[in-house]
Amino acid sequence: MQAQSGTPIPAPPQRWLTDAAGMLSPQVAEQLDARLQAYEQSSGRQVVVYIDKTTGGIPIEDWGVKAFESWRVGRKGLDDGLVMFVMAEDHRVRIEVGYGLEGQVPDAVASRIINDEMVPRLQQGDSDGAVAAAVDRLLAVISGDSGATGGGQVPPPASPPLTWFQKILVGMAILGFLILLITNPSLALYLLFTILSGGRGGGGRGGFSGGGGRSGGGGASGSW
Amino acid sequence: MKKFLLGPVGILIGLVVVLGLWVMSAYNGLVSLDQKALSQWAQVENVYQRRADLVPNLVETVKGAAAFEKDTFTAVTEARAKVGQVSLGGGANPAANPEAFAKFQQAQDGLSSALSRLLVVVEKYPELKATQNFRDLQVQLESTENRITVERMRFNEAAQAFNTKRMRFPTVIIANFLGTRYQEKAYFKAQAGAETAPKVQF
Repeated sequence: MQAQSGTPIPAPPQRWLTDAAGMLSPQVAEQLDARLQAYEQSSGRQVVVYIDKTTGGIPIEDWGVKAFESWRVGRKGLDDGLVMFVMAEDHRVRIEVGYGLEGQVPDAVASRIINDEMVPRLQQGDSDGAVAAAVDRLLAVISGDSGATGGGQVPPPASPPLTWFQKILVGMAILGFLILLITNPSLALYLLFTILSGGRGGGGRGGFSGGGGRSGGGGASGSW
Repeated sequence: MKKFLLGPVGILIGLVVVLGLWVMSAYNGLVSLDQKALSQWAQVENVYQRRADLVPNLVETVKGAAAFEKDTFTAVTEARAKVGQVSLGGGANPAANPEAFAKFQQAQDGLSSALSRLLVVVEKYPELKATQNFRDLQVQLESTENRITVERMRFNEAAQAFNTKRMRFPTVIIANFLGTRYQEKAYFKAQAGAETAPKVQF
């Protein structure tokens, strides 16, 4: 909408933590990035920190929701992603919460993380401490470790044991596939390949890659 | 003689089949864009409902500290009641009834301005602004307004995608056959005077 002027939305980040403004010390950045990567690998939830200089005059809320949309943070269907944007020159912070995490990270909680954990430290020039503390609190809140509400919400859906009927369906599907394999092997192999590559759940060993999640402007913003 | 007859009939059948396939794909395309717009509309109603749910709590909290701003409360409560009346209901088709859509938007904008007046009034009560309860409510309200902006924008995008398809030349014939169900969808317009911040009067 207002995206004609201002900083264009960058390509999806390669890492969980991106510091394009040089705000953090390299050790802290690396450490937090590793932590967020490990968090995704263990819980499946994508939590991303993106630090840049400026949005170029666009409100950080608009910019953030656009970036979230184009990076597709969080798992498709679960929408359990979260991005923290820090704009160094604008002195603005935004926590944009995916639809699926709005229960764990209500707006007021996001706001408190910004105003209680980040703003005081940022005002003292302690960017490392601000971002580290915010990541700390966010991960605790999302995991439900804070003793607050919603512990253990949306775990990766475990497939229930197959019923008798489903077993027959699976059998028929396999039979159909075998027939196809005999009559039209190239099509059968192509189908097999697309199905297998479609479920790239554990992918992204190398770097960050968005999982298809969405957000709708939930979260909070703050300034320092 | 037989050949002479079969030729045109064959061509005719071929044409009918091609036409049928084309109608089918155009219709399906229209339906899927329509469904997208409808589900986005449901999101819009959701976030507006979220805001309406915040209002009673907000009014109660502010009342405690600023009891004599009665006019402002009444305005907010009335605007809130109006919003409740015009709700199109879940799954209602916003396109089928442009007047209802306009009324919906008008009522919601009314609540927006009543709420922003309330927040201006609150500026006079620093002790209220300092309470955690009020701060939480204010954050929730701000975020909800932000959500409304986002979902409205996405509805406009979905409506535009539908309208573009619907009004393009060959598809428009099919759409017109289908009557009001696949009418052009209305857009949200920027609120009149939304660009100008409310004035503070003392």
